[in-house]
Amino acid sequence: MIGVGKIKQYSNVLDKPVSKGKQEVSLSAFAFLFSELVQYNQTQVDNIAELERRLEDAGYAVGARVLELLCHRDKGNRRETRLLGILSFVHSTVWKVLFGKVADSLEKGTEHEDEYMISEKELLVNRFISIPKDMGTFNCGAFVAGIVRGVLDGAGFPAVVTAHFVPVEGLLRPRTTILIKFAEEVLKREARLG
Amino acid sequence: MPAVAPRSGDAIFASAERVNAELFTLTYGAIVRQLITDLEEVDEVNKQLDQMGYNIGVRLIDEFLAKSNVSRCVDFKETAEVIAKVGFKMFLGVTATVTNWDAEGTTCSLVLEDNPLVDFVELPDTCQGLHYCNVLNGVVRGALEMVSMKTEVTWIRDMLRGDDAYELQVKLLKQIPEEYPYKDDE
Amino acid sequence: MAAIYSLYIINKSGGLIYYKDHGTASRMDTNDTLRLASLWHSMHAISQQLSPVSGCFGVELLEADTFDLHCFQSLTGTKFFVVCEPGTQNMEMLLKYVYELYTDYVLKNPFYEMEMPIRCELFDLNVTQGVQKDRVALLGR
Repeated sequence: MIGVGKIKQYSNVLDKPVSKGKQEVSLSAFAFLFSELVQYNQTQVDNIAELERRLEDAGYAVGARVLELLCHRDKGNRRETRLLGILSFVHSTVWKVLFGKVADSLEKGTEHEDEYMISEKELLVNRFISIPKDMGTFNCGAFVAGIVRGVLDGAGFPAVVTAHFVPVEGLLRPRTTILIKFAEEVLKREARLG
Repeated sequence: MPAVAPRSGDAIFASAERVNAELFTLTYGAIVRQLITDLEEVDEVNKQLDQMGYNIGVRLIDEFLAKSNVSRCVDFKETAEVIAKVGFKMFLGVTATVTNWDAEGTTCSLVLEDNPLVDFVELPDTCQGLHYCNVLNGVVRGALEMVSMKTEVTWIRDMLRGDDAYELQVKLLKQIPEEYPYKDDE
Repeated sequence: MAAIYSLYIINKSGGLIYYKDHGTASRMDTNDTLRLASLWHSMHAISQQLSPVSGCFGVELLEADTFDLHCFQSLTGTKFFVVCEPGTQNMEMLLKYVYELYTDYVLKNPFYEMEMPIRCELFDLNVTQGVQKDRVALLGR
């Protein structure tokens, strides 16, 4: 019943206890919301590159908040200072919280020292989405790329992060790779730290 | 076709694929933020949230029908109960209560105590006129329109504005009769 | 195991939005399929009016010499119908399944515009799989 002592009035949202992160909604609810996010942004842009950028920006804000939430709740406010540490955090902890599983793989780029790749057979956000042929290589995973960039940036590891479809031998559908290209300062610091 | 029994909101939610509510909450927050940046005026943001909700509602209704096996509701009272107990539960994982019926049985309130759209949200002073959850109005309105009911959905209580619950008023304006294709020639 | 000849989806205005040909028998050209969809849409509506029983929502099964036609109409007015070999089992279940696929791979696709022809790769893939004979048999259990 409403108002029968169940609801506490918090004078300040900061006084509210941090949720344990166990509440769930249906995947459908998220999918419909995400679909509308994409549709809205389509109306705001003239080309695909802009759409990608807007989705990435939307994801960035999510990433920044996820980092704060997780650092406080799961890590007891400890900070990652090493590259592999933060990558592992993204690949495992962040992915588990947001998508219910750890990412399929985390690899170091073979061609460039500053590149790392997190790959998924299919990103959760793309589950129900079929890209029209005339949109080329566009990937709604740009939103996830933005999330990763938000986490990395907030943690002190600035990077350029993009989402790409990668065809796989023998599979009907391409997998998605989140490509992370760290800023030079990150690599320099990493080298200093030994 | 043999009639299939309607399923409860709990049963559907339990058997559906689910995600962490935080992904949902944070994504919604990102949407609201984008709208505030793009539109600036709080009234415009409210309108856009409602429109986005409507766009979702007209699509979401088919999944609701497909999964719940709900057949035509006898009256609006049944409709409201089904939205509150099955609709909200199967998508948001929370149930609403139906209250405040008017004498004609065309207006009621849906009350939510738990709302996954809102977590850690506080309205800044610059956004005091914002109906943060306005997407829900549009969803209910859009969904019902697809099953021939024209409604008006407004906020009565909003926890982000200091109230003790979220209360949505749903008013049935009219039932649109089904149109037959051969009548279009008249 | 009897065969499925074709699957149609028509929007609430009677426009054909999806057509899938599974049989090897006569193939129809686009104009014919559009005409057939429009015709069925009208017939379905008329059947609701003609029914001697009140509360009728339209034809669900049409049995002819050379084919059966099963039709499912959602409360939103979208019609899913399948033309198959007479006596084919589990067609209602198939239509229900296709309806669910529609709510997933069409309605959740941001690039799909409501009421327009369906061009969603994932929907196509899943429907094709769903229509496979062994899959249809599973639906009946």
